[in-house]
Amino acid sequence: MQNVIDTSNSTATIKCLVEMYSDNMYSWALHKTSSKETAEDLVQETFLAVVQSFDKFKGDSNPKTWLFAILNNKINDHYRSSYRKRVVDGDAIFETLFDSNDQWKTEERPQQWANDTEHLLDNNEFQQTLHHCLKKLPDNWFSAIHLKFMEEKNGEHICQELGITDTNFWQILHRAKLQLRKCLELNWFKK
Amino acid sequence: MNILMLSCKKASALIDMKSVRKLSMKEKIMLRMHTSMCDGCTAYLKQSKILDDLLHKHIHNTTENIPVIENKELQQQIISKL
Repeated sequence: MQNVIDTSNSTATIKCLVEMYSDNMYSWALHKTSSKETAEDLVQETFLAVVQSFDKFKGDSNPKTWLFAILNNKINDHYRSSYRKRVVDGDAIFETLFDSNDQWKTEERPQQWANDTEHLLDNNEFQQTLHHCLKKLPDNWFSAIHLKFMEEKNGEHICQELGITDTNFWQILHRAKLQLRKCLELNWFKK
Repeated sequence: MNILMLSCKKASALIDMKSVRKLSMKEKIMLRMHTSMCDGCTAYLKQSKILDDLLHKHIHNTTENIPVIENKELQQQIISKL
């Protein structure tokens, strides 16, 4: 996109951006958070940030890219605070999967996934299954996954930021992955 | 049980630990011994890697076609606050 942004009249320009992009932004935030309320809040916060920092936007980059960068930061912030807030006792997953000797229960023992896993994400149906399984995780488990894979940081860095212990963080990731594996196996690989 | 023999519960925990930090030599050896005898954990070892890969791609995927949902109320609300 060319320099279509006229930075001299900021209110009119921002109004125009809201009309052009708020639906896209809302849909994206809803997809990422699965909550109407959260998605609305995040889009509102994004435009609030836009109002405050509008003079920093020179109109030389695509406004959509700029808006989504701010929105994605807000989404990450949301997961950071949701990770801190909720503590779920996750030992139930261990009881589901392992017997009293801590060995896999016969029916839970992982079996090789036959399908070609490399191109799975090209499959829309699989995308939906994965999305469904992720949304079924407790909030802060999903937050841990989001933070781990979004921020490309190792566990240590995330832990420092969140003020939690390393052990706690990977234990949550571990539980989340066990649960996710089970969900994918039931809803996809064994189907 | 032999102190060198891991349970499946511990082995699966070490498998997922690998994506957070490097395992110690002792942990590596214990895990190797366990997976050489345990089909379930061998499958989990592969699947844990597949999950990492899928999750990484899924969470970074910004090209997915998300159906656009109109929210005029939200739009009006934001505009009224400008």
